[in-house]
Amino acid sequence: MGLMRAMDVAASSLSAQRTRLEIASANIANSETTRTEEGGPYRPREVFFVAGSLGENRPGDATRRAVQGIREVRVEIAERPPILRFQPGHPDSDDLGYVAYPDVNKIAETVNLIEASRSYEASVSVVKAIRSMLQSAVNLLR
Amino acid sequence: MMIRGVDLPGLAQAAPATGTAAPRSGGDFGSVLKEAVSEIEKVQGQADSSVQKFAAGEDVDLHNVMLDIQKAELSFRLMLEVRNKLIEAYREVMRMQV
Repeated sequence: MGLMRAMDVAASSLSAQRTRLEIASANIANSETTRTEEGGPYRPREVFFVAGSLGENRPGDATRRAVQGIREVRVEIAERPPILRFQPGHPDSDDLGYVAYPDVNKIAETVNLIEASRSYEASVSVVKAIRSMLQSAVNLLR
Repeated sequence: MMIRGVDLPGLAQAAPATGTAAPRSGGDFGSVLKEAVSEIEKVQGQADSSVQKFAAGEDVDLHNVMLDIQKAELSFRLMLEVRNKLIEAYREVMRMQV
């Protein structure tokens, strides 16, 4: 059904925003983490969305191809050098007494957080609109 | 006075597919109904499985569970309304005076 496809697109946006929220939360939580399993300080992650049509594609269906959702959410490590703070005596300090801290911009992450939750709300409104459209279409039969 | 049909070539172009749309193969009423019901069953099965996954604590998004339930509800209501319409038409026919 046509509107169900719109619902799938909205669902892909909801999932993508949830991932974005998770990553922002992880970045904020680890903004002062100096030790990780792979060694060195925590490396902040960035989220990228990749658009694409969802589900199966029939060749002649132009509308289906035009309706694109978020097909893939990519999480990549941001290539930002760590911030060095002079803290001699810290267990993770180097020979010169510097400790490497992850370069997490808490303000930017908070903005990310707000934006993700607002985008989530927007997609929820889309779902509500689709639902009420479908319901009124069904009610036409009454 | 001579009354003639209005010749509108534009209209014929606008709706060229009217006569050519082939009826769906095997499109008798019973099979169409069966197809529709199986489609609804599929949607409901999906809703069931995602609810089960969610209840079992698997890694499923809550909103996907909700959307699956919503889809199942909407397609069920569509089926219900079509069924009501059919029954109504049947009753109407039965009430006819012979």
